[in-house]
Amino acid sequence: MLATFLTLVFAAAEDGADAGKAIALGVGGGLGAVGAGVGIGIIFGKVIESVTRQPEMRDEITGIQWLGFALTEACFFYGLVAGLIAFFL
Amino acid sequence: MKTRTKVLLGIVGFYLLSLFVIIAIFGFTRQDNEEFQPQNEFKLDTWVNLPGPFDINKAVMYLFIAGILTTVTMIWIANRMEARPNRVQTAVEALYSLMRDNITAGNMESAMARKWFPFIGALFLFIWFSNLIGYIPLPTNTQEKFSLFGAEIPGFAIYAATANLSVPLVLALVVFVSYNVEGIRTKGVGGYLKSLIPTGVTGAMAAFIFVLEFLSNFMRLISLSVRLFANILAGHLIILFMSGGLAVLLGIEALGWITLPLGVILFIFEVGLVATLQAFIFATLTAIYLGGAVAEHH
Repeated sequence: MLATFLTLVFAAAEDGADAGKAIALGVGGGLGAVGAGVGIGIIFGKVIESVTRQPEMRDEITGIQWLGFALTEACFFYGLVAGLIAFFL
Repeated sequence: MKTRTKVLLGIVGFYLLSLFVIIAIFGFTRQDNEEFQPQNEFKLDTWVNLPGPFDINKAVMYLFIAGILTTVTMIWIANRMEARPNRVQTAVEALYSLMRDNITAGNMESAMARKWFPFIGALFLFIWFSNLIGYIPLPTNTQEKFSLFGAEIPGFAIYAATANLSVPLVLALVVFVSYNVEGIRTKGVGGYLKSLIPTGVTGAMAAFIFVLEFLSNFMRLISLSVRLFANILAGHLIILFMSGGLAVLLGIEALGWITLPLGVILFIFEVGLVATLQAFIFATLTAIYLGGAVAEHH
């Protein structure tokens, strides 16, 4: 009885380690995507606002827009890489 | 109905129909595939054994290709410049003015910009070519071979040198050393360290900000290298999974057909936007760091 219980517990612990890795990947990818998604949305929203206000500034704003987009998008990948490291290592 | 609508409807209809046919033939059952190792795409096998740390592997080959492409194409185009430019020359001239005016001259003074433009331009072109050749399938997969007319040919695979952390890290280190040295050369060691503190901050707050800024200088190394590396790595991973890797891994045939359009869209997104954007960001941040290191005010 006890032996079966213990094997079950150990199996659960092993599954738990795997589950922890899967959770790490999910949280790293998922929550990272939430933050970066909000940030990218704000950037493009502000770009639309600024271009409608001052259409003559369009070229300058486009350059800044891509800079901000790439910097924000990179934050998602920091989370994803941390998740991948937890999953594979 | 317009022709375009008809064509679109036809494609969507064909897609759905073939999806049903595939599900009807193969079913939608999962059979995990233990043999396929998706991380092998990024595994570096030694091809040529050389003494010391000079072994040649896949990443080194990609670096060579990128370096040769950068120099040869640019020199070739520069040597056959004409007064009436053809299409390629116009494109390269647009690229040149982007590098010179927007990236370099937009972020530092003109004397500085003249001095550092070759460095930043070479950095931009090298990263750009490295990223772009990473999306061309090349016969590099020595584990999975196939025979064509009797010859054993390695399987075609995509890989980019920038999808390996070492390459962006080395580039970031070069940038890190050059902007710090340039800052110290113009202001002296004391002046450079003092310029880390923004004007108007005094007392205990200044010490705190100094430590923060000093550490953030080192964080630039991480952010600069990991940004490029992670973008390219994630792009390659997602292309791998969407264009069949997931279906092979789980053994569901119909899933491959479902994810294939996503794979195509993501491939276009990566080639068209991310490859260029990451090279642009790397070069722009280099210019901003260089300009900031010699600027009078922080």
